[in-house]
Amino acid sequence: MMDFSPSPEQTELVERGRAFTKEFIGPNSMKYDRSGEFPRDICREAFNQGFMNPHVPAEYGGSPHSVLDHCMVLEEMATGCSGIATAIDANGLSQYPVILAGTDDQKRRFLAPMTEQLMFSAYAVTEPEAGSDVSRVKTSATKIGNDYVLNGIKWWITNGSVASWYFVLARVDDRPTGFIVPADSPGIIRGPKEINLGQHASNTVRVTFEDVKVSEKDRLGDEGDGFQIAMKTFDHTRPGVAAGANGITKAALNIALSYAKRRRTFDKKLISNQGISFKLAEMMTRLDAARYLTYKAAWLFDQGRDNAREAAEAKWFAADVAMNAAIECSQVLGGYGFTTEMPAEKLIRDAKIYQIYEGATEIQKMIIVAKLMRMREVH
Amino acid sequence: MFADVRRITARIAEKFKRRFYGRTFNCPVCHFEIAVVDAGKNRLLVCPVCGVVIDIEEVYGHAVPVVLEVELFRPQPKARVHPLATHVPIGLYPFAVLGAALLLVASMARPFVPELEPMLTRAPVLADATLVLLVLSVGLSVLTFASGLWDWNRRYRRRSYRQIRLKIAFSILFLLLGGAAIALHASGAVFSGGSGLVDLGSPLSVALAAVEFALLVAGMVVIATLGHVGGTLVYGK
Repeated sequence: MMDFSPSPEQTELVERGRAFTKEFIGPNSMKYDRSGEFPRDICREAFNQGFMNPHVPAEYGGSPHSVLDHCMVLEEMATGCSGIATAIDANGLSQYPVILAGTDDQKRRFLAPMTEQLMFSAYAVTEPEAGSDVSRVKTSATKIGNDYVLNGIKWWITNGSVASWYFVLARVDDRPTGFIVPADSPGIIRGPKEINLGQHASNTVRVTFEDVKVSEKDRLGDEGDGFQIAMKTFDHTRPGVAAGANGITKAALNIALSYAKRRRTFDKKLISNQGISFKLAEMMTRLDAARYLTYKAAWLFDQGRDNAREAAEAKWFAADVAMNAAIECSQVLGGYGFTTEMPAEKLIRDAKIYQIYEGATEIQKMIIVAKLMRMREVH
Repeated sequence: MFADVRRITARIAEKFKRRFYGRTFNCPVCHFEIAVVDAGKNRLLVCPVCGVVIDIEEVYGHAVPVVLEVELFRPQPKARVHPLATHVPIGLYPFAVLGAALLLVASMARPFVPELEPMLTRAPVLADATLVLLVLSVGLSVLTFASGLWDWNRRYRRRSYRQIRLKIAFSILFLLLGGAAIALHASGAVFSGGSGLVDLGSPLSVALAAVEFALLVAGMVVIATLGHVGGTLVYGK
C-alpha cells in the first residue's frame, strides 16, 4: 500500500512550522541578509517552540522527529529564509556523528545540555584543500599519553563562531578519526565571518586548531572510524538539505505566483501570458518531483534502510530545481526581480550553495553511479 | 566605543520603529520604508515619496509589492512653509540645550574652579539667551506643526502613514516638553535671576535643574527623530 497523505501529527507539525516561519523568519529575512548578523533571537524562539535539535534521542532530553517529519518542517522554514533555517538546523549535522558513534557518557555530556538551553555545535570537517574530497583532510591528531593534540585548519564551518563544541575529523597516524572538541579548549582560534554570496544569516567561519588537547574519552568510535562516521552522517542529513532547497523553490514559486496574479501588462494580468504561466506550471511540477525524492530518501532512512543513492538523488535534484526556480522567479518579476528590494535576487544567491555544500552536485552523481555499478539491472 | 554607542542606539531605534511601524517593506521604486498596516484592507497604498500605487501582499512573511500605477498629480504647496519652518526650531533648539548645559556645568564647577568667577558675571545673559532661543524654537515649531498638517491634508490627501502619525505624535510631545522647559526656565526657580546659575545650596533648585535638563534632552531626541523621519519623507531611503 502507498499512502501519500501526511498523518494528522505531521499536518499539525507542518502548520506550526509554517506559522513560525511567517511570524519570525520571513519578515526578518531581508534584515539578516543585509546585516549578516547571526539570528540568535530567532534561534531562541525556534528552541522554545521545539524546532531545534530534533534528532536528539528522548533518553537524552530530546523530542525526536523522524527524518521525514524534520524534512517537512525544514522546507517550511527555508521558505522563509534558507540562511536562518540553516542557522536553526545546523546543530543536526554535528550532533548526528555523536548520535551514531558516541558513548552514553558523550551523549550525556554533549547532547543533553543542548536540549536544556539554547546552544550550538558545528561540524568541522572541511579544510582549505579538502572539500568534496573529505579523505584528503590534513588536520593531525597526535596521541600523547591519554590525550590527543590537534593541529590544523577547518574551513567554512557553519555555526563555527557560535558553537559550544565541534565534531572534528583529524588524522591519527594517517587514519581519519572523529573527535568532539569543546569550543573553549585552549588553542582554538575562530576566524571572522566569511562574506559569502548568499545565506548571509548563516555563520560560516574558519576554525584553527593549534596544539589543542582533546581527551581520549572525547574520541568518537575507534581510531580510523572517522571517515565512515562523517560519510554516514550525510545519509541522515542530505534529505534535510534537499528539503531546504525545496523551501527555496517554494518561496520562488509563491513570490512569482503572487506577483504574476497582480501585475498587469498589455492590459491583462501577467499570469494570463502563457510564457509566464508555463514557467509557474514547470516550477510547481519540479517542486513536486523534488519533494517526492526528498521524502522517499527520508522515509528510507527512517525505515533503517540504505538511502545513500536516494539521498544523493534528492540533494542533487532539489538543488538544481531551487536554482532554476529562483532564476525563473526573478524572470517573472522582470526588472523588479533584479532589485535588492524584492526577495527574488536573494533566492538566487541563497540557492547556489545547495549545489555545493554537503557534497557538490557532481559528488551526488558519483554516489548514484557507484550504486548503479553494483546493479545488474534497474527495476 | 563610538561603534558600541552607535550599535546600541541603532538597536533601540530599531526596536522602537518595529513597535510603532510593525512589519515594513521598502518601496521598490524609491526605497522608502512603508508599514504594511498602512495598506489597509484592500492592500493598496500610494508611496508618499514617489507616488507609485502599490498592491502589497505577504507571502510566507515576504512582502511582495506590485506597482500598479503612478500618481502623477501630487500638489506641491506653492509657498513651501513646512520645509522652511521645520529647520528653524531644529537649528535653534540645540543651542538652547547647549546654553542650559553650559549653565549647569558652570554652576557645578564654580566651587572648585575659582578662575571661572570673572566669566560667570555673564551667566545671566546666557540664561536669558537660552530662554529666548527656547521660546523661538518651540514657538516657531507651532508654525511647523500647522504647516505640516496643511501639507498632509493637501499633498498626502490625509492618507494614513505611520511616519506622519509619528510626526504628529512627536510634534505634540515636543510642544509639551518645550513648553514645560520654558515654564521652568522662565520661572527663575532653576537659574536664579541674579546669578543666572543653579543655587547648589537649595535641593529644590538642583532637582528642578535636573528636570529642566531632562526635558531639554528628551526634546532634543524628539526633534532629532522628527527631523530624521521628515527627511525620509522627502528623500525616500
